[in-house]
Amino acid sequence: MKKTTQTIVWTTLLLCVLLSTKARCQADTIVIGFGGSEGVLVTASSNEAPGDPENTINFAGYLPNENGSSRFLGQATLGYNYNDIISVSQTGQEDWIDSQFNITRPFILIDKVYEYRQTYRDSLNNQTANTNSRMWDYAWWQYLMTSSDDLRQRIAFALSEIIVVSEKSAFGNNALAMSDYYDILLDNSFGNYRDLMQEVTYSPVMGVYLTYLNNPKSDTTKNQFPDENYARELMQLFTIGTTVLNEFGEMVYDTAGLPIPTYDNEDIIEFSKIFTGLTWYDRTQFGRGAYNDTSYIENMVMWENYHEPGVKNLLNGYQVPDRIPIDGNADITDALDNLFNHANLPPFVCKLLIQRLVTSNPEKEYVKRVVDVFKNNGQGVRGDLKAVIKAILLDPIARSCDSGFDTNFGMLREPFVRYVQINKGFNASTSSGNFRNDMDYVYQYVSQKPLASPSVFNFFQQDYQPIGLIEDVDKVAPEFQITDAQSIAGYINGLYRWVIENNPADEYDLFGGEANSGYADEISSLDLTEEVMFTNHDQLHILLDRLNLIVGQGRVSQSSIDIIITALKEFPNSTPEEKLAIVRIGIYLLMTSPEYLINR
Amino acid sequence: MGSKRNISRRRFIGEAGCASMGSMAYLNSVLNLGMINTLAARPHIISNTSDYKAMVCILLAGGADTYNVLVPTESGEYSVYTTTRDALALDKDATNPAQLLPLNYNDNGRTFSVHAGMPQVRDMFDIGDLSFLSNIGTLIEPIANKTEYDSGNKKIPLGLYSHSDQIMQWQTSVPQSRSAVGVGGRMADILHDMNTIPEISMNISLAGKNRFQSGNQYNEYSISRNTDASNIGFKGFPYYLSNAGYINSVKNNAIDSLVSQEYSNIFQNTIGNLTTQTTESIEKIKVGLENVVPLNTSFSATNLSNDLKKIAELISVRSFLGANRQVFFVTYGGWDHHDNVLGSQAAMLPVLNNALSEFNAAMKEIGMHDNVVTFTISDFARTLTSNGNGSDHAWGGNQMIMGGAITGSQIYGNYPSLALTGNDLNLSTRGRILPTTSVDEFYAEIALWFGVSANDLDYILPNICNFYSPTCPASVPVDYMPIGMFS
Repeated sequence: MKKTTQTIVWTTLLLCVLLSTKARCQADTIVIGFGGSEGVLVTASSNEAPGDPENTINFAGYLPNENGSSRFLGQATLGYNYNDIISVSQTGQEDWIDSQFNITRPFILIDKVYEYRQTYRDSLNNQTANTNSRMWDYAWWQYLMTSSDDLRQRIAFALSEIIVVSEKSAFGNNALAMSDYYDILLDNSFGNYRDLMQEVTYSPVMGVYLTYLNNPKSDTTKNQFPDENYARELMQLFTIGTTVLNEFGEMVYDTAGLPIPTYDNEDIIEFSKIFTGLTWYDRTQFGRGAYNDTSYIENMVMWENYHEPGVKNLLNGYQVPDRIPIDGNADITDALDNLFNHANLPPFVCKLLIQRLVTSNPEKEYVKRVVDVFKNNGQGVRGDLKAVIKAILLDPIARSCDSGFDTNFGMLREPFVRYVQINKGFNASTSSGNFRNDMDYVYQYVSQKPLASPSVFNFFQQDYQPIGLIEDVDKVAPEFQITDAQSIAGYINGLYRWVIENNPADEYDLFGGEANSGYADEISSLDLTEEVMFTNHDQLHILLDRLNLIVGQGRVSQSSIDIIITALKEFPNSTPEEKLAIVRIGIYLLMTSPEYLINR
Repeated sequence: MGSKRNISRRRFIGEAGCASMGSMAYLNSVLNLGMINTLAARPHIISNTSDYKAMVCILLAGGADTYNVLVPTESGEYSVYTTTRDALALDKDATNPAQLLPLNYNDNGRTFSVHAGMPQVRDMFDIGDLSFLSNIGTLIEPIANKTEYDSGNKKIPLGLYSHSDQIMQWQTSVPQSRSAVGVGGRMADILHDMNTIPEISMNISLAGKNRFQSGNQYNEYSISRNTDASNIGFKGFPYYLSNAGYINSVKNNAIDSLVSQEYSNIFQNTIGNLTTQTTESIEKIKVGLENVVPLNTSFSATNLSNDLKKIAELISVRSFLGANRQVFFVTYGGWDHHDNVLGSQAAMLPVLNNALSEFNAAMKEIGMHDNVVTFTISDFARTLTSNGNGSDHAWGGNQMIMGGAITGSQIYGNYPSLALTGNDLNLSTRGRILPTTSVDEFYAEIALWFGVSANDLDYILPNICNFYSPTCPASVPVDYMPIGMFS
């Protein structure tokens, strides 16, 4: 069934390509069976419906060229280097995804934090010392720089911007809490969305962040009612959104032309009753604070005496029964099921994921195709994220080079992702192979690093419209919400620090007084040995082609490349240091160009 | 950022003003740039452009529980307050330490106190530098009571009680639309030309991108509290390189060339334009920053105080910035107190208190006290009832206005009854109060003071005609400024 659908999609798309006057597909994809040259395209091996055109039509049957691989990796990872590009060119995109699905996690973040903590405790000779926020940052960065599960990390980062908690909170200095939450995201990136909802709901990190840990039942004698915070944001941000969507992810309007609310405040009050009675696993009384650092790393437990009794009227007429005896966990299961099975959840979540990975304004049919897979992965399973990830990344819209020439296609690369790209793309390395980075400067410059948004509304909102051309054509551009004079200059100054000054990471003591030797072998440096070979004036175009491939998908135009080469020729170019500086300035300029900054 | 955008404008047909209100086409045209043509064709009504006026908007992000900022203390009202708020109620009789500070105010027996974390706010209120606006909130049209609210015949703001919508609507004043364009931005559309250096935006943000300052034609310029003449702009190659000057110009020229190319992709085009505007603005603002003379007024070591200090410095060099009108925007976040509202407010209100009084003193120091109006906004007020030790999202609340141009020592609007029952403004068992003064009415008055003509008021505030007749300048919307300030 699935294959038939894909065939139809492809036939339609290829027709578009053939008819398009700007089908400058150049050598963006080398398509076996398609022909590799501009204008030479094969629609299908047969016009007969019963044929199985899989090897011609779907992505198992051809290999992308290097630019195509770079473009794919720009959507599927947080950062990648030349070797990764070559690897995808040789294995193909779908096989690469499958192999990524099979990589088991090399370590869990919290174990790394325990390791740091032990070093810290031993050095202080204090076996009860607590963690600090830097240990979380270091663990995250160590995982990034040393693990090969790039796809999992990309998805987890996307989820961290959808189901948001932040270090700007009570647990911000508790590295165990931060890393345990991120481990939930990494663990479920290739799992099922329903399981993710379950784990997040019982996480004390979320319980504290959205204030339903220690949320008691009503006490009308004190005009006291359940906390509405999680009930509201779970619906608004994590599952169904505020307005009714169709399966294309489009808002549905009523007869007066107004969007239709998905729920009202009475619904929130009903859901708020569900999330009562949860508290720390390690407390013998309800309503107490965290017992210690490790209170955050086990699921919250239900105290039935504090759970709101009675029926709860949820969405679509579903009623949680008046359970006797009270069973708060069963209520939670019912409520999460109610949301998971809500018709709005697949379009709401799928559109968010497409926006994080591929494009800010996905075409409605693209959303629909991903939504269909979310609803049913082909084996009757709803919410299978592996299938959803494949549907997003292998969709014709994501893969066709023609999409990239659509003037409304693409997205502003998130500033933090650009930063990772420097470190991954230009092989930041340390003498020990261990990394530490508290990401201090990138946060100062562009206000972004993992789990550090100002609120549960993420760094930016999915429907943000900057004024000007984007608003004029009624499109959205979420990442522009953190793009202002401060962050524009900040990013360019960050490039100067990270690339030109070769300070790609921020290493500090793990604790006050740690000897420099404690991290001297963990200081990152970019490795530009391949690039520095092409700094003679007559070879600068080779240098720029390579840089363009690694960070720009080969899509930075010749006129921009010419501007950069012309500038580079003005710099001194005799000593090894000067030659290295040429490469650095080349990267710096390339990464300020609008054609790099927009991922399309 | 100064330069005008290239925009395709749909022409607005018909006369601006209240006559055409109520038509959806009218609203759309305001929201979608159409009216700009009409405005541009109109001669500005400002007769004297040598005066200077600024407004400072402080966003208390998260929805501050302002029924514990301004508390009724007349015995009957106070008793209702303590019954409704129960665990969240502040004790007016506590002395060691005090929980509430009485204001020098008595309106036919109605008396009020401010939170004890705000002694300078109390002092500024008492000496006439500050007033409150009570039960103000986002509205499309007046709603008299719960019956009207429930009737289905009144327009209700989109996403009522949600952060993302209410925080947006306080900035846009258009609660029926999820618009990117805000009140300060629309003022800039009209008044930007009063300033003499077009590259510097009328709207300067200490809080990055925000809707309040986004206009149809102009963006905010964003600056940090740490920005000064020494660090503004792009880092360059170090001075000790003999060719530093030359290679820096090569580098910066290359950036300029890259970002100013024509791009057909809308995102490339936008990031290119924004970068160009940033570069142009930085050059001009740097000149102002170079002329900053340190103020005598000392500011606390908090982000909010330092934000307001930076604003005070920018106002002090207004002539170098070519500024006759400026709108500043600051955010002080963390007010979403679903938990521990009492403890959190006790920690946060003093920060606000100190920053406000320091800024007020700085404006007096530089002789700008009568020229600058400062006000607070917030997503919404919170439920009167508790959820244990916090409160949840609600609607109408209390805000502050400060400065020499306003009439101080007043509580404008109508402080509502806080009773849960028998109160036709209470919409919920949780105690969510229907606002009786609209955000529009508040902004209208400050816009008129700022120099927006009565005829242009409905461009700034598309719903204003539902609340107030702007073509009748003898009346003012809330009357918190002395009549004559703007006429």
